[in-house]
This record gives sequence, structure tokens and C-alpha cells, in this order.
Amino acid sequence: MAKKPIARPMDAGRFAALADAYGGALHRWPPADQAAAMPFAETDEGRAILARAGRLDAVLDRHRVEAPSPALHRAIAAHAATEVRQQRRHRFWWLGFGLAGVGLAGAVAGLALVTVVAPDAPSDHYVMDANATSFGDAGPDADQAEEDL
Amino acid sequence: MGADPDEELVRRIGAGDPAAVQAMVARKLPRLLALAARMLGDAAEAEDVAQETFVRIWRHASGWRHGQARFDTWIHRVALNLCYDRLRRRREWTTDELPEVADEAPLPDAMPGDEERRVNQALQRIAPRQREAIVLVYYQELSNIEAAGAMQVSVDALESLLARGRRSLQAMLTGDGDD
Repeated sequence: MAKKPIARPMDAGRFAALADAYGGALHRWPPADQAAAMPFAETDEGRAILARAGRLDAVLDRHRVEAPSPALHRAIAAHAATEVRQQRRHRFWWLGFGLAGVGLAGAVAGLALVTVVAPDAPSDHYVMDANATSFGDAGPDADQAEEDL
Repeated sequence: MGADPDEELVRRIGAGDPAAVQAMVARKLPRLLALAARMLGDAAEAEDVAQETFVRIWRHASGWRHGQARFDTWIHRVALNLCYDRLRRRREWTTDELPEVADEAPLPDAMPGDEERRVNQALQRIAPRQREAIVLVYYQELSNIEAAGAMQVSVDALESLLARGRRSLQAMLTGDGDD
């Protein structure tokens, strides 16, 4: 099993850079740096750096934003019902268009297949002449014609 | 990246569940409102941004998929983009770039009860990208990786923005300049 790497103590430069960026409270620092910062945080220099950054934190913490009003909450939630319904309707229409497109594409493909694969149909003359056989014209007029010979 | 705590709620919204809508508003509205209020320094505009962000949430809920970013990071990005639209409009920027130079002159000492307005003024005076970094990491408590993701910068660049922003605020608010 691989050994867990041991965090090396942090130097003053890196400690000050992190305090400049994240402030004077170690719990706000990136978790990966917190353990390595602990030994330096307990030195006089470390404490001074954190105290200086902490002074700004204390001022920043005074900036509060009012909680949203119930009216704003209601307005946003009311809009959701309309918007979600509209999105679902759009999806339904797109699904319909999609299915229609697939159907149309199938019909076109089928027509193309029939055109390419099916043999040529005989000409209208043979189709329409129901009396025709491979031995010639077998209709009533044909018998008459033979008798006339 | 672990499981996204908002994913199930987003799925239920996409399926049209009214209880999920209420839960999402209760969970995210205070955060989005605070983000926009600190970015814009104006409560009314912040409410507009929060409403517009939720419109986008409702529109995209049914198609949203857990990808590279968490849902919370995504809505932060959406809200920030809306804030930048307003900042550009408000100041009639002629280019896409917002200035990086902050006015670091110390603000007058606060009268009792006036501290909040003073901090608000100071936040509005630093460069918007520095303000964005401080709002995301300090006030919204995003991790450095999430904040860097939302800002589309590296963690090193985020730390640089944070440090420069805090130095400016320090000079304005505590009188502690570089020493």
C-alpha cells in the first residue's frame, strides 16, 4: 500500500501569500494547505500575518445582504410553472417533428428501394390486354380469325 | 469530483415537480441574491439578476446534465454573466474588457452603523474581476477550485486576483497599505 505523503511545513513566503488571498482564518484556506500551514501559524510571524489578514476579514464580515423577500420568492416560483410547462411543450413538438421526419425519411427510402430493386413493369399494352397469352392472342376474335383462314 | 447535491432537485424540476421548484428557490435564492448584490452594489438590480438566473434554471433544468461543473458552479457563472452585462451597460463600456485598476484612496471613517455602506463602496471600487474572486471565495464560500472553474482561470490566477483585491480593500478600509 502506498504511503500517504506527509505535508511539509510551509515557509513564510507561501504562508503570507495564502493569508493575502484567503484571509486570516485557516479554515477558509484550501484544505490541501491547512495541515502544512499549522506549524508556521503558531510562530510569532505567522500569528502577526494572520492577525493583519483577520482585521480585513472582520470588516468584510460587516457587509450583509438582506434576505430575499417572500414576494420575490413567490414571483420566481410562479414563473417556474409557466416556463417548465412551455419547455415541456417545446420538447413535445420537437418529438412530434422528429417522428414525422423519421416517417417521411422511411417513406422516401422505401420508394427509392422499390424504384431501384423492382423489375420493370410490362408496358400498358400487355397489362391491359387480358386475352393475351404466350401463344398469341387467345380472345374470341382469335378463334374467328383461325376459322377464316 | 463527488456527486452533485443539486442533481436530483434539478431532475425533479425538469419533470415539472412544483415542490422541487419551491425547494430550489429556497436553497439558491439567498445565495444568488447575495452574489449579485455584492457584484452590483444595488439591491434592485440584484433582484433582477436573481430572477433572470432562475428563468435560465427553469429553461435548462430538463436538459441539464452533470458534466464538468456542479450545478451550483454553473448558476454562479450564469449570474455573474448577467452581472457583467449590467456593469457594461451601466458604465457604457466601449470594449469587452473591464478595467483592472482600482481606486485605492482610503474611504472616510465610518459613522456608527455606516460600516456596511463603507464596505459596499469599497467593493464597488475594486476591479470587477478582483471583486468577483473575493465574492466567490470569501462570501459565497466556493472552494478555490470551484471559484477558479466558475471564473475560467487557473487557481494561481485566482489567488493573484484575491490577493490584489484584498490589498486594495485593506488600503481603503483598514488603512493597512503594503508594508
